[in-house]
Amino acid sequence: MTHTAIHISRVTKVYRTPFRRQATVALRDLNLEIAPGEVYGLLGPNGSGKSTTLKIILGLISPTRGSVTIFGRDNSVVAARREIGFLPENAYFHKFLTGAETLRFHAKLCGLSKSKTTARINELLAAVGLTDAGDARLSTYSKGMLQRIGLAQALIHDPKLLVLDEPTAGVDPAGSRDIQELIASLKNRGTTVLLSSHLLTQVQEVCDRVGILHRGRLMREGQLQSLLGIENQTELILENASPDLLDGLEQQIASTSARLIVRRKPQASLEQLFLKVTESTEE
Amino acid sequence: MITSLRRIRAIAGTTLIELARLRVFYVLVLFALVLIVSSTFLARISFQQELQVTKDISLGAINFFLSLLAIVATAQLLPRDIEDRVVYSVLAKPVPRFEYILGKFLGVVGLLAISLAAMSVLCLVVLHLREQSALHEVNRQIEQLAPDQLSSTVRVIHTAGVNRDLIAALVLVLAKSAILAATTLCISAFATSNIFTITAMAMVYLIGHLESIAREYWLQEHVAGWPKRTFLALVAFIFPDLQAFNLSDQVIGGVPIPAHLIEQLLGLAAFYIVSYILLATAIFYQREL
Amino acid sequence: MKAIAAFILVAAGLAPLKWKFERSIDANHLSSDVLHHAIDLRERVGQTAFIAILGGFRSVVADLLFIDGHFAWERVDWSHLLLRLRQVTMLQPHVTMFWDVAGWHMAWNASTAALNDTSLSVAARRRLQREYIELGRDFLERGVANNPKNPKLYEALARLYRDKLNDHARASENFLRASRLPGCAAYDERSAAYELSYCEGREHEAYDYLRALYDRGEKERLPTLIARLRHLEEKLNISPTTRIPAK
Repeated sequence: MTHTAIHISRVTKVYRTPFRRQATVALRDLNLEIAPGEVYGLLGPNGSGKSTTLKIILGLISPTRGSVTIFGRDNSVVAARREIGFLPENAYFHKFLTGAETLRFHAKLCGLSKSKTTARINELLAAVGLTDAGDARLSTYSKGMLQRIGLAQALIHDPKLLVLDEPTAGVDPAGSRDIQELIASLKNRGTTVLLSSHLLTQVQEVCDRVGILHRGRLMREGQLQSLLGIENQTELILENASPDLLDGLEQQIASTSARLIVRRKPQASLEQLFLKVTESTEE
Repeated sequence: MITSLRRIRAIAGTTLIELARLRVFYVLVLFALVLIVSSTFLARISFQQELQVTKDISLGAINFFLSLLAIVATAQLLPRDIEDRVVYSVLAKPVPRFEYILGKFLGVVGLLAISLAAMSVLCLVVLHLREQSALHEVNRQIEQLAPDQLSSTVRVIHTAGVNRDLIAALVLVLAKSAILAATTLCISAFATSNIFTITAMAMVYLIGHLESIAREYWLQEHVAGWPKRTFLALVAFIFPDLQAFNLSDQVIGGVPIPAHLIEQLLGLAAFYIVSYILLATAIFYQREL
Repeated sequence: MKAIAAFILVAAGLAPLKWKFERSIDANHLSSDVLHHAIDLRERVGQTAFIAILGGFRSVVADLLFIDGHFAWERVDWSHLLLRLRQVTMLQPHVTMFWDVAGWHMAWNASTAALNDTSLSVAARRRLQREYIELGRDFLERGVANNPKNPKLYEALARLYRDKLNDHARASENFLRASRLPGCAAYDERSAAYELSYCEGREHEAYDYLRALYDRGEKERLPTLIARLRHLEEKLNISPTTRIPAK
């Protein structure tokens, strides 16, 4: 029998602050199901309940009502966490450890054998592009490097499920692209990924499915294309089309019931420009 | 729940490095200053008195600094981990919260043991030097003393100097500060600020030394009226009896400490530590991170 | 709620265990009585010192007071010294050194200083000297009462009776008590005998005692012992055949 990777059933989370009458409802009746091997993006503005959802999945906080299972196992059991790797939002880790030491520490926490650990650390440092910085203390790391060591730390025990809280926040576009590529390669290996983000463009390229959270409710959920596609519109992008051809097309359209909304040159996004510029100078 | 020694050791080791890098060892420099200043002051008093008082003040200072270290170092462990989100990446791993708390505690105990060792060595060296100079002085006066008078003077100097009970008293100082560390973990498991933890621990420290009085009053039914009795019972239950661990009186007085008392005290310390660690774990399990 | 109920239940079970454990240790503890009976300490030592005492720093407070007393002595401020010695011995009644030093300061230093105080009349000096000696005796008697197993204080008390009060019977008595305790000085027993030999009407007792010591062997046959023995042989008219051999 195969289990869903994550199964969240009717989870409600109410935060009660002592000495204050009003309680904050962070999540209302959340249902979520993520299949093994899927990359799922949880979107929403700050304070929408993304982090709360992730923390509940990881057992860091307990839901007021409802239940969560990870690969069929109740998530409050410590053993359920053997399958999970987690990258917290803005993680700092111990600043006084080097990158390699940080990974070694987490390897011990996961019960990795000594013989396997060293090889695994080198492998992961290479995967996140920190081989040269492995012996530097984390206090000297940049935000992007911290995020990458955090990712390596989450992967140390080769988990079946990877949970990433704002993986690309504060990382420059190149770093962000690397992280997306890493996620894509993990997906190819069959790892399930759940990530949260408030920057919509960053997730659209890697996610199979996305859910949109707002004020603790799941407002929309589905495949990206079907969520974003406008049913009654079509986009044509042509290369080397002569002005005559375009004029002809326009005339043809005018003779039917269809309507041309816009005719323009597609623009590169600032991000694409950035990548193009930096890649050319690197070589 | 399968407990893993390796995991606990990893957490304890990292905690120890973390604490060692916090410059808490400056406390030791302060200790050395106290010791040196006081012993130069004391050189004005006679030998036997000087040795006893030096030993006394060193023990008092070790006691004070180690307690201070236990409270201050432990108070900021959990808040710091939560602030830096280290706690998320650790607890998202298959690490039971019990192991996390125990690892933190053992890290602090490691720090305390190292500090105690350093202070003790310093203190023993000073005592030994003073003892030697006292013996030297006696040898110089040898012509003026009858042989049996000489041997008794030498014996007095030895009892006043380094002996087995001094070591026992030092071990108990460590036990006491470990209890304080466990209690601090308990409070910091629900506290929202370091200041609160440290203030609360200052109270625990003071009340802990009076716990035996509350206990005896409660048990002997000296006090009428249930509000007072309830209060005393609560004090007597919640707080550890810290006064019991102060054996410096015996040591300085040269009264031998019975071995079974030391065993009992170590047993009591273990009882307190296990209780407070379990309580800290229970509180930490409830905590929303 | 469930957690709180569980906690109370566990607590109710643990409380008697905790108290039993702590009490059994209390019973073995030498110093536990002091705090229980000295809550009025606060008036005597001041607020800061009192808090330090409550915090488990009784011995350190006592030491600091003792050092302050030492400075008072260097300044020749006898009343301040007396105050400090009283506080120190109250805080640390089981430290014999404090009683010993307190007795010595009063009976020897303060009393002699009083006798040499030229600003007073001779009668007043004598009275003051006598009062200080009595204070010293009082310290040592209380020290002995608090530490009945320590020979040092008996020895100090014996010296005080011998040198300051000329009370040879009491001096002998205290040397004898000291000599029966572990850790006593080797001369305690001899001193007890010497002192006895000065007591009018107890010459026979003293003679038997000194003779018994003499018969133990060379080690005890010190000049003073032989002199006292000869003196008593004369006084008691001991027959020449049983007397100790002349050298």
